[in-house]
Amino acid sequence: MKQLRLAYVRFTSCCGCQLTLLNCERELPDLAGFAEWVNFDMASSRRDDKGRLNAVLIEGSISRPEELDTLLELRRRADVLVAVGACALTGGVNTLAGGDRGKLCDMVYQSTAAKKTTFPPQPVSRFVRVDLEIAGCPPEREEHLRTLASLARDSLPALPDYAVCMECRQRENRCLLIEDDLPCLGPVTRAGCRALCPSFGVLCEGCRGLADEANRGDMFRLLLELGLSEQEIRARMERFTGVFHENYPS
Amino acid sequence: MRTIRLEPLTRVEGHGRVELLLEKDRLLEVRLEITESPRLFEGLVLGRSFREVPALVCRICAICSSVHRVAATSALEKALKVEIPEAARWVRELLLLGGHIESHALHLFCLVYPDIAGAESLVEVLRRDREDPIASGGLALKALGNQMQSVAGGRTIHPVNIEVGGVLKLPENARLEELDEELSRWEESLPDLLSVFASGKSYPPSESIRGVHLSVSPTAELSIQGESLALSDGRTVSSEKYKDLLVERPVVYSNARQSGGGEDLFLVGAMARRENAVRSGVLPSGSASRPGGVYENNAAQADELIEAVRRARHLVRKIREVDPAAPLKVEARPGPGIGTTVVEAPRGLLIHQYALDDMGRVAAADIVTPTAINQGAIEQQLLADLQSVTSPAELSDRAQQIVRAFDPCISCSVHLLHISRSS
Repeated sequence: MKQLRLAYVRFTSCCGCQLTLLNCERELPDLAGFAEWVNFDMASSRRDDKGRLNAVLIEGSISRPEELDTLLELRRRADVLVAVGACALTGGVNTLAGGDRGKLCDMVYQSTAAKKTTFPPQPVSRFVRVDLEIAGCPPEREEHLRTLASLARDSLPALPDYAVCMECRQRENRCLLIEDDLPCLGPVTRAGCRALCPSFGVLCEGCRGLADEANRGDMFRLLLELGLSEQEIRARMERFTGVFHENYPS
Repeated sequence: MRTIRLEPLTRVEGHGRVELLLEKDRLLEVRLEITESPRLFEGLVLGRSFREVPALVCRICAICSSVHRVAATSALEKALKVEIPEAARWVRELLLLGGHIESHALHLFCLVYPDIAGAESLVEVLRRDREDPIASGGLALKALGNQMQSVAGGRTIHPVNIEVGGVLKLPENARLEELDEELSRWEESLPDLLSVFASGKSYPPSESIRGVHLSVSPTAELSIQGESLALSDGRTVSSEKYKDLLVERPVVYSNARQSGGGEDLFLVGAMARRENAVRSGVLPSGSASRPGGVYENNAAQADELIEAVRRARHLVRKIREVDPAAPLKVEARPGPGIGTTVVEAPRGLLIHQYALDDMGRVAAADIVTPTAINQGAIEQQLLADLQSVTSPAELSDRAQQIVRAFDPCISCSVHLLHISRSS
């Protein structure tokens, strides 16, 4: 097993992805054995030596020029770039502020607006090549661990691209969508969470983004049949897929 | 005149830096700059249905996601004049206690302990000795907080069980039973594990803290929720009147506005909660061996961990006795209203206020976070504690430790809509 030089860097986001790694309380002693964190501000005071990285994990979307500079620098240094969480993958809930950001900035920053540089939050893949995606808001501990363990063996894990319903059925849960008429987004949402929320009895809010070839049209119709308004359905389906809708006029 | 810039601040939650302005080795001015990207949450919820709000605002901050979710739902319930069932209140409190335990354990063991152990991170502590008893005990305690949030909230980060009107599910009995056993084990072992944080010997010297201590009015040893605010100068202010107390002071160099009391400097957090609880007689005063100055905050968090475990055990038992057929949620109908909730986040006072229109859509939102309130006190403490320090390396080290002791939550502090002050 190889010793890894890693960085975990966060941009516009809530810290939930980095916290997920720190939530691997049982595994941290083992991880410490083969992973060296060259840059992980939230957990370590080590000064980044700016050397080569085996991998960099990126949390958050990009919403300021400084963030973009750092992202490009990290991409140059890292053999593997892993985008973690909804913000890095699609822009996440950050994109919901929407509207005319110029106006919002004037309102927010008033006379100092000209000095503040921020642009609509973008997914990491808009600027750099992404080698692996770890989905979720929050992402799963297990997908972090599988990724690090694979990297130590010079490979990348195959993370699920199918729908949450696959895992939910495997766990023999009651179907919240069909049996309970709840607006569960399992059919269009990427699996990998072992259907965590439906197994607890609460509908899937779609936090892991879209499954491969997700049939959003039929999902929309199903929810209309349940009696939800178009507006409500849009609000539910757009919460974590932000960037997909940028190209659709609202 | 020269400037020492400490960037990034490490082992704190979020992106920030400190600038120390010196003249002939004398520290003249200190600036805490929040460099985290703005997230515009108060703008993001405008026009959205009240039902959407809790799941959105908990994304302000992962570590504080439970308390943001509960604060938002409770403020919206007040706006809509909804009384939630008793059992739902207990589940929510269990979730909040889980959040406090996780956050305090993260702060003390992952962020503060490396300073005491002379390491750059907890990972380095574990690399030296993977059996380090304080590190492994601390991680297990942190896992307990996460287990509680998972049992009560359905998920450890961004809990799903809390909605406007109550909670969706009663935690499974088997998981509550497991938690009960776990909590009883912790009740015995916790004081030993935490003793390192309660001792003055663990920290550098620190001047006594500035500012008026501000918290939710204490009614018990650990009061997380309440209807009014208590100040250490003896004042009490009802929660709806918080704006009379907290004047927003925008700062040009920071991406978070400071919240303060005009000329007053306010201090929130475990230390303020403890001070106000002692003042009002619900807690006995501490011994003389307690750490001085800002490091008292770490000791106060340690005390709270012990109380949180005790209280959680009591709640778990109450929840286990809830009739499975008892209501957990009441219907909340859309309508107009204004609701304000004050609650103690792990890092201190958190306020959520929403105004809803006739259709139950958000017309205005105001969220005041602990770190926005503490910014001024952090700067004052840095100035007081570092007066006699001259070596740049020591300045940097000590400054980082002081900021860390306040347990700032920088993600939370930049959720804001208004960030302004002309330079």
